[in-house]
Amino acid sequence: MEFVISHLVKSYGSKQVLKDVDFVFEEGKIYGLLGRNGSGKTTFFNCVNGDINYNSGSFYFRDDKDPEVKTELQPQDIGYLVSTPTVPEFMTGREFLKFFLEVHEDIKPDKTIDEYFDYMVVPEDDRDRLLKDYSHGTKNKMQMLLNIIASPKLMLLDEPLTSLDVIIAEEMKNVIRSQKQGKITIFSTHLLDVAVDLCDEIVLLHNGRLEPIDKNDLGDAAFKDKIINALRDADDGQ
Amino acid sequence: MVSEYKNILFKVIHLRSIIGYNSLVFALKKTPLIGDLIPDKLYSTTFLKVIYWIFHVIVEVFKLFIGKIFGLGLIYLAAFLLSDQYIEHEMVHGVSRSTMYGNLGLFFFLIYAFCGILIRVPYFNCTTEKEYLVFMLRMDAKKLNETLIYYDLAKLFIGYVMTGVFAVITGAPFWLWLGIPVLAILVKFIGIGLQLLSFKIKDKHHKSLRINVVAYLIRLALVLLAGPFLIVFVANGYYIPMPQMAVITGLTVLAGIWGFTEFRRSGSYLHRRVLHDNIGKEEVKSTSQYDNTKSFKKIKAKGTVKGDKKGFEYLNALFVKRHWTMLCMKPVIFTVIVAAVMIFFTAEFIYGYYSRFGSDNCWNMVISNIINFFTFRGFSDALLPVDYDPAFEFFRYVAQSHLLGLLIPLSIADNSFKNTQAMFINCDNSLMTFSFFKQRDKIIKLFDIRLKQLIKINLGPVISLGLFADLILFVTGGQSYPGEYLVTIIIAFLLSVMTSVTWLALYYLFQPFTTSVIAKGGAYRITSIIIYSAAAIIVWVPMVSYILAPVLLVITAGYVFFMRNRVYKLAPKTWKIKA
Repeated sequence: MEFVISHLVKSYGSKQVLKDVDFVFEEGKIYGLLGRNGSGKTTFFNCVNGDINYNSGSFYFRDDKDPEVKTELQPQDIGYLVSTPTVPEFMTGREFLKFFLEVHEDIKPDKTIDEYFDYMVVPEDDRDRLLKDYSHGTKNKMQMLLNIIASPKLMLLDEPLTSLDVIIAEEMKNVIRSQKQGKITIFSTHLLDVAVDLCDEIVLLHNGRLEPIDKNDLGDAAFKDKIINALRDADDGQ
Repeated sequence: MVSEYKNILFKVIHLRSIIGYNSLVFALKKTPLIGDLIPDKLYSTTFLKVIYWIFHVIVEVFKLFIGKIFGLGLIYLAAFLLSDQYIEHEMVHGVSRSTMYGNLGLFFFLIYAFCGILIRVPYFNCTTEKEYLVFMLRMDAKKLNETLIYYDLAKLFIGYVMTGVFAVITGAPFWLWLGIPVLAILVKFIGIGLQLLSFKIKDKHHKSLRINVVAYLIRLALVLLAGPFLIVFVANGYYIPMPQMAVITGLTVLAGIWGFTEFRRSGSYLHRRVLHDNIGKEEVKSTSQYDNTKSFKKIKAKGTVKGDKKGFEYLNALFVKRHWTMLCMKPVIFTVIVAAVMIFFTAEFIYGYYSRFGSDNCWNMVISNIINFFTFRGFSDALLPVDYDPAFEFFRYVAQSHLLGLLIPLSIADNSFKNTQAMFINCDNSLMTFSFFKQRDKIIKLFDIRLKQLIKINLGPVISLGLFADLILFVTGGQSYPGEYLVTIIIAFLLSVMTSVTWLALYYLFQPFTTSVIAKGGAYRITSIIIYSAAAIIVWVPMVSYILAPVLLVITAGYVFFMRNRVYKLAPKTWKIKA
């Protein structure tokens, strides 16, 4: 399975944020979407997730063995983890998980609610508290957990590690790695080190276009400079 | 020193002008239809900035006079008219008209100044430009406040002197012309001194230096309470003799000098702290874009949902349980008020009957009419005659033929708009990031559950208003056809269903809220206005209840079906977080 983005264009007024984005993402890989602040990473995700309208372009799934077989993207195919997690604050973690499992009648849970919590390392004393009282990191974990249970074909992770402490960030990274099989994961960040550490492929979102970076260079000492130079605008100081 | 004040003042005015201009362009860009046509370049168009700056100066000049004319101008006018009356009716002896003019002018001014507007000093609110200058550009807070205070007092002085010219022309003494502006400044300093003293005390006890509006409200209440006494005082030709008035004025002057000294002695640290603790106050007032999600965050953690509710039913039940006060309080209060009004009128009627005809007759009347009500008959005055009241005919006509008018009180009681806000900010806003929530069948499932919930929440007002109309029918002769009481309640119910489905469907079709619960979106507003306008016409349409009920039933069913269908078709695209 491949996820194809074809000629995606998105403008805000006269400002063109995404200019003819064309890219193919492959199954089983974590893609690091790297870009500067304001480069359009969140806009890109919002377009794919259908949260905002785009000017032109299309996305679809394509069979990697038979490129003629194309499937339209459905809402249930997407899991979206936003950088600032929002959760229904009037529910407890347990109630939210119970509700989530009940509305996903097609999912046959292989774990109990507490086992799911254990898997995501959600502290026991948090499980029956209102979500509004959860820490940023635990809210993030809840969001991740639900996306794991729903098991979408495409995971969009919008800077999920930003503002997490090192322990939770490491736990989240392990979960993301363990979940990559059978799906396409696009992980946006503006932190180069995180992208290098976690991702199989790195894609730059620069000047409104997606540009792949040769993965063979990941371990190269000059790689960092290469990316920085690629991201630097012509009017930036050298 | 003067040049320093001048520099600061120039910076403030310049910044105010920039903020004002940019806010204007921003608001224009956010306006539906025309917003997209406005280019970003407008932010940097010097020509338009100059025009805005000229406009800003004109507004400043206008503000210089408008308050003074309405405040001091009215005082002088009252003093002018009353001094004539005092002299003409010989209420005063040995006092010239001019002195009387001055006395009354001073008297009214002191009341106005102390109880009303002048003593209130808004100088310690942290406006946007103050916030930028003090906390971002590190300007000395005291110097800034000093400059703005002197600037404001200079405007006050000039405005008062110019307004005083009219007083002098109409016969006021010269001392009043020049004395009032000076006294006004001193009263301002009393306000400043008192405010600073309170800040100092709070600071000493490590308390927040938030400006307390309670004192101002108390003063306003005092003015309102003192009003009638003042009218009686003046109407009887009383006045405070000049020597006593001079003493009061002298004390005011001394207090003003104290206030000025207190102001001069206050340190920059105190001014900075005060501004810090009052950040955003003016901003909040001027834009209303403060964090109004706070009232939606009062979630009660108590309890859970028992029974076999699952999925969306479970979600909705939990939502209602934890937001009960927010969702249901308004309809409950409305119901209680309507019930209280009904009880009051009934009790008042029974008491009137009792006073006129005695307890036995009254008791019989009550019992027979309880029976009458439940057997669908009219109010019986068989025992003793009750005065015929022509108003009965009017109310009966309204209760029978103008039941569409129930839309007005039902709209007042209806809390559906706030309910949709709460749904968005505390539930949907977060769940919309999950794909399952945007699936057509799930959207419509939750829509149906929520519609039922809104209808249930409005049942209190529906029944109370229906009974109110029934009570009118009962007292004015009873039902005209079998089942009229019930039909009245059904009509109220159907109107309430229409209101609920309208708000809920609009929410799903336009999702107008931002994450700060502010309703934005031109289409939502325009549609709301069209619906309000249509409703405003409909409420005046006369139709007897036995025709209205079936017509309304068909229309409501069709309307609900249509709205539900629109939601089913369009909501997967329209019901989303505003980017």
